[in-house]
Amino acid sequence: MDTLAASLLDGLLIGLLYGVAAMGLTLIFGVMDVINLAHGAIMALGMFGVYLLFSEMGMNPYVALIAVLILGLLFGVIMYFVAVDRVIDESPLASLLSTFSVNMIIIGIGTAIWTTSTYNVEYSLGTVETGPFTVTGARLMAAFLAVVITALLYLFLNKTRPGKYIRAVSDNRGAADLMGIPSHRILALAFGIGTAIAAVAGGMIATIFPITILGGSTYELKSFVIVVLGGLGNPLGALIGGLILGAIEGIVPVFMKTTWVPVIEFGLFVGILLFRPTGLMGTKK
Amino acid sequence: MSILEIRGLEAGYADLQILWGVDLEVAPGTLTALVGANGAGKTTLMRAVTGQIKARSGTVTFDGDDVTGLAPHVKAERGLVMVPEGRHLFPTMSVLENLEMGATPKRARDDIEKNFDLVYELFPRLKDRLSQKAGTMSGGEQQMLAVARGIMSSPKVLMIDELSLGLAPMLVIDIFRALEKLLTTGITVLLVEQNVRLALGVSSYAYVMSEGKVEMNGPSSEIAEDEGVREAYLGI
Repeated sequence: MDTLAASLLDGLLIGLLYGVAAMGLTLIFGVMDVINLAHGAIMALGMFGVYLLFSEMGMNPYVALIAVLILGLLFGVIMYFVAVDRVIDESPLASLLSTFSVNMIIIGIGTAIWTTSTYNVEYSLGTVETGPFTVTGARLMAAFLAVVITALLYLFLNKTRPGKYIRAVSDNRGAADLMGIPSHRILALAFGIGTAIAAVAGGMIATIFPITILGGSTYELKSFVIVVLGGLGNPLGALIGGLILGAIEGIVPVFMKTTWVPVIEFGLFVGILLFRPTGLMGTKK
Repeated sequence: MSILEIRGLEAGYADLQILWGVDLEVAPGTLTALVGANGAGKTTLMRAVTGQIKARSGTVTFDGDDVTGLAPHVKAERGLVMVPEGRHLFPTMSVLENLEMGATPKRARDDIEKNFDLVYELFPRLKDRLSQKAGTMSGGEQQMLAVARGIMSSPKVLMIDELSLGLAPMLVIDIFRALEKLLTTGITVLLVEQNVRLALGVSSYAYVMSEGKVEMNGPSSEIAEDEGVREAYLGI
């Protein structure tokens, strides 16, 4: 019983992190109907961002996350104007190809620099014991930051003028333009924020697990499952979807081989697509 | 001196040209009506003026400047604002947030308190619904909110595309009363309206469009007396 509870707790903590990773994907899709296929590669950049800032420049990894956030935002805004803005009014296939190209570029250059070997951020926050449970400080910190990031995103979207512009553009881009809202700049901002969140999620992963330049793809797949669980375009749903996925990853290995986890996850994915395509939470799309 | 001047405007969609050299002027502080049958090109004209579709030739002069090629959000920033046909609210946002989104231009943000007061005076119903999601309101309330959102942007010219379309008769009267009250604030309005009788009643000058051209224009009282207009639009 204790094994199950401990494993579930571990899963839920990681689930919150998965949720943040998916949030970047779902925000972008919700606002502009673009599925960012560079999502995993951007997460990998976030991983290596934290790795380099920590290993090469001696920065505390959690301070490095702030730098990764800012760099991710910049990268996303530039990527929007270079690769996405020109296809924003075209068919979905155009933006899929375009973001996939960015994915290939990042992976290609990243592999040239770092090869596909494994890197570690050698930094520990120790462990925390509460009753029968022992969890690593890094996991607790990541879960805590996940909640903070979700809360900040929620406040940003609902309480600030730029955040409300993003929601307005998401609701009705044409009407936003008529009200004087520069919709393309707002789309760039939304894309930048989605990218920044993905990069930070990658950075947090680097504080817990070993990383490779290809490491983002696993989380990209998980993000798709989570986004479908939580409802496309719904950031809060992403966090809950992440918790569900984390719970599965916590519970399943106690009863069967870990290799069954993806089978169950993607079985769930297919099931939801078949029977509840708007996601468990439902959404406007 | 007109605040909005359209000269020889031609526009359309892909291979289909809709507007064939439209001339139209709006004098400041007045309500100008634009009427015509369905498919006459009224909405296309509105869309070409805001920049939602590109003008193929001709010019749009606003407040003394040639604004023909400017993007819709730049025109809105300058004070040329449209309330689009079909409302086009932000449905998942609250009534208050919709009004805030109207107050995007710099000028409008300075006037925001004054504009809130004006909007609540014109449409008291909105004030009771500030936290309701716009998409869950009735058609009439949504139309009020669409006009109110336009007013929140402190327009120099407010273009309203189909004010009464799809509204119950009682609501039509309400909303036209509000429009008359709004006119006393000195605002300039270009109104596209399928209810020709009401449009000619509330406006001082009117244009009649047909097949992508202006067929007739003049003081609204004279247009209302015209035999052809009476037969075609007023059913007399």
